[in-house]
Amino acid sequence: MTMKTTLSIVAAGVALLLAAPVLLSQGLLNAAVQMLIAALFASAYNVLCGQAGMLSFGHAAYFGVGAFATVHAMNAVGGAGLLPTPLLPLVGAGLGLVFGGVAGWFATKRTGTYFAMITLAIAELVHSLAPHLKGLFGGEAGVSSMRMPAWGFDFGSTTQVYYLVLGWTLLCVGLLYLYTRTPLGRLTCGLRENSQRLRFLGYDVHGLGVAVFAISAMFSGVAGALQVLSNESANYVVFDPALSASVILNCFIGGVSVFLGPALGAALMTFFGYAMSDLTRSWLLYQGILFVLVMLFMPAGLAGLPGTLGRLRRRFGLARLLPLVLLSVGAASLLSLGGTFAVELLQRVFSQDYRAAVQMNPGVAWPDVTLLSRAWSPGSPATWAVPAALFAVGLALVWFARRLHRALEEGESAPPSVASASASATVVNVPVTRSLA
Amino acid sequence: MDQFLVSLMNGVVYGLLLFMVSAGLTLIFGMMGVLNFAHASFYMLGAYFAYTLQGAIGFWAAIVVSPVLVGLVGVGVERFFLRRVHQYGHAHELLLTFGLSFIVAESIKLFFGNYPVDYRIPAALDVSAFTIGGAQYPVYRLLMGGIAIAMFVVIYVLLTRTRVGIVVRSAIHKPRMAEALGHNVPLVFMGVFGVGAALAGLAGAVAGAFYTTNPNMALELGVMVFVVVVVGGLGSLGGAMLASLLIGVVTSLAVGIDRSLADLLALVGVGDWAQGVGGLMTLKISSLSATIPFALMLLILLVRPGGLMGEKG
Amino acid sequence: MTEPVLRIRGLRKSFGPTEIMRGVDLDLVNAERHALIGPNGAGKSTLFHLLSGHLAPSAGEIVFDGRSIGGRTPQAINRLGLARSFQITNVFPKLSVFENIRLAVMRVHGLQYSFWKFIDNDRVIRRETERLLELVRLTARAATLAGEMAYSEQRSLEIAMTLASDPRLILLDEPMAGMATEETHYTAQLIREVTKGRTLMIVEHDMDVVFSLSDRISVLVYGQVIATGTPDEIRNDARVKEAYLGEEAHA
Repeated sequence: MTMKTTLSIVAAGVALLLAAPVLLSQGLLNAAVQMLIAALFASAYNVLCGQAGMLSFGHAAYFGVGAFATVHAMNAVGGAGLLPTPLLPLVGAGLGLVFGGVAGWFATKRTGTYFAMITLAIAELVHSLAPHLKGLFGGEAGVSSMRMPAWGFDFGSTTQVYYLVLGWTLLCVGLLYLYTRTPLGRLTCGLRENSQRLRFLGYDVHGLGVAVFAISAMFSGVAGALQVLSNESANYVVFDPALSASVILNCFIGGVSVFLGPALGAALMTFFGYAMSDLTRSWLLYQGILFVLVMLFMPAGLAGLPGTLGRLRRRFGLARLLPLVLLSVGAASLLSLGGTFAVELLQRVFSQDYRAAVQMNPGVAWPDVTLLSRAWSPGSPATWAVPAALFAVGLALVWFARRLHRALEEGESAPPSVASASASATVVNVPVTRSLA
Repeated sequence: MDQFLVSLMNGVVYGLLLFMVSAGLTLIFGMMGVLNFAHASFYMLGAYFAYTLQGAIGFWAAIVVSPVLVGLVGVGVERFFLRRVHQYGHAHELLLTFGLSFIVAESIKLFFGNYPVDYRIPAALDVSAFTIGGAQYPVYRLLMGGIAIAMFVVIYVLLTRTRVGIVVRSAIHKPRMAEALGHNVPLVFMGVFGVGAALAGLAGAVAGAFYTTNPNMALELGVMVFVVVVVGGLGSLGGAMLASLLIGVVTSLAVGIDRSLADLLALVGVGDWAQGVGGLMTLKISSLSATIPFALMLLILLVRPGGLMGEKG
Repeated sequence: MTEPVLRIRGLRKSFGPTEIMRGVDLDLVNAERHALIGPNGAGKSTLFHLLSGHLAPSAGEIVFDGRSIGGRTPQAINRLGLARSFQITNVFPKLSVFENIRLAVMRVHGLQYSFWKFIDNDRVIRRETERLLELVRLTARAATLAGEMAYSEQRSLEIAMTLASDPRLILLDEPMAGMATEETHYTAQLIREVTKGRTLMIVEHDMDVVFSLSDRISVLVYGQVIATGTPDEIRNDARVKEAYLGEEAHA
């Protein structure tokens, strides 16, 4: 993609974001705020994970530190003086930076797997300590505060909060992009590619690691601060492994090799979580399955899809590629439908209420479960035949798609270059993650 | 004194339990170079399988069958998931196992609910072994410790004294050479992975009845196992044993200490000031017992980054 | 008599019970080109690892420019003015060739932690990077990913990255491995020019290159230097012939 195309797409995106309060309902606007925060957190995380190649499994700690720092600042300063409400995220940034520097100093003493374990342990340390430090973390109720008016705004409406969060998100994501064009930003990629060689070129690799870690933690702190500004409270539940897990999932589902990949992945997943959490109780399970599928079959993530499709189109031409794409999309849809159906059925059959109902009436046939506003009997084979059939047809389509792909490859006349030969081994095959040093 | 002995024994048993899970993790890491994030999930599956089977085939049979089932799951994970992403590097494998652990936890919540299940030791075993200091010491704790020790001895003998063990050790150290010599190295990988998983499953089946069985047990134990591995040195079975026992004993003893840092400072006369400061100073050590292993890990990283028995520096 | 740039005395390295370096004594005179030859497994790469800080000596001393460097970290040694290339190509595979060299150049200009300027705007860095690209004849491949180049091109990249830090002492580990004759000639000439005024230690198996390029040659066999001297002296040394060059020692 040329620079002009990229810029125009980005400009269009920003314009859409600016117009959102006009286009969306209040509920959706709230979701949009959460999406922006998740996107910022994922972009901050990607500095460490995708660019520097250092897998942190406990990044919620820095998000949480930023959050609590901000909520205390909100209470202390009251949104006045040096820190009016719009400038409060600076507190989150500051403490994220400091805490990230300290934690990073420890964590970057080792590499690869050890590094991952240390980050996990640091997060768990904070997580287990937090309930006991009621002064800092407020116990089970958390710490709450209120947004104070500043600069002529009262920050009472969702729209104003949205613009505040949007402003900071755009600023931070922009800064993160500019970071990749600085010497330190290029060295971050060097860390991922070959940290050993950096040593022999005279660089202090440990120091670099600490710097990158601290920067990633700083922007994570801003994300935490924004969430506190939006929710007007902070709770130590934020240190839960669930948040660390979700940012990892979001990042890789989106794709770490493209700059905006993690942000898009986070926005998408947050939106689906918001939309689906009313429809299903098993949303997290779907997210996990999607993550594993992406890891297995689409290592470049969703953001890698346009690139792969473009490459395939250049090789095979649109006419021959279209049936393959249709088959793949069809297969994916059917398999997803079948899987979702099965999971939803199982979830209902194994739920507490259902099992209690069964136990109360032993000997009687199991009652029906409701799915898609219809009643399905778990005892009847017809119920299970639906997902089974969806799976069968979906797998058949996969088989056809594979054959078609192989036929396309063999029918190709021009010899593939070294790069695309390895890329054609599977439909999508771009090794993105580097080996742990 | 009796209280101290009881705490000590509890700590040793818990440490042996940690070792049972971390031994498999260390073996798998030594073999594949990747940390299996899902290893603690095998522990959890062991507990849940045993709980499910207990009603049908009785406690002892469940303890035997459950690890076998978990071992099969482990074999399946290696064969169908890990092998596929091996080409993308260690980070990718680590992420995949992370995703699998996530799926296992969510699936368990789906089938069993997001709360602890009633997996209990059978009444026949719920007796005391001896009395110490006026309290009864449960037989089951000794049983857990015994199983862990027996498992260690069996593994050690298998690895060092049998032909299978030699093949496994060679495949762990030099897989390509072992393959060139005609050994079926992929099969060895699958087998070691399965056995490692089964060990974790056995630990879960046995411990789940005593401690709690809930969907978060994988994460709680998993983090502890990672700490053991960092403290002990990855790849060293001896280090894993030492670190497991150390962490188990320290955690257990700390639970009995109802003092805080402020009390300690009172000995040098600044107790009142410390009380005034509050916060961390007045927290009782017993409340902090869960955080001590993490502090120990950070200390080891400062002083001896390779772990107690790992490589220096 | 001037101090040697590099003085190695009694250098030993063992891995457990296996001793790889069994007591090496070697002096490098300022601005000389010194070749290190010897059979496979003699310990040539291990010597480079010990000199560059990748390994710490078990015994003995290494003095570079009057400073003891045995056991120091690779970054410290590099900053003192010693740069090495690697036998197994050790570049940044997913970055472009231009970026690879630029990373090497950046350190020399002190650009490690700067996050307040854009690297693309830095003309000095860009000119220096382009100069090095030109030097190893990789200008046409500037935008190619380093991991996707031909092996000999990657060797050239290795050399460029090693030269970037303007080192006083250069260690080249089989820089011409995998190159065709014309490339070998060009690279040998390149090495000759670039190392004017600098000290060079080079490990190479191509004997033509070794004998034409070097001022002195040391022969390493089984972790010990069995002979040091000018190319003519080495060519006629009986021990060297027996141990390495393969001729009958007794006519």
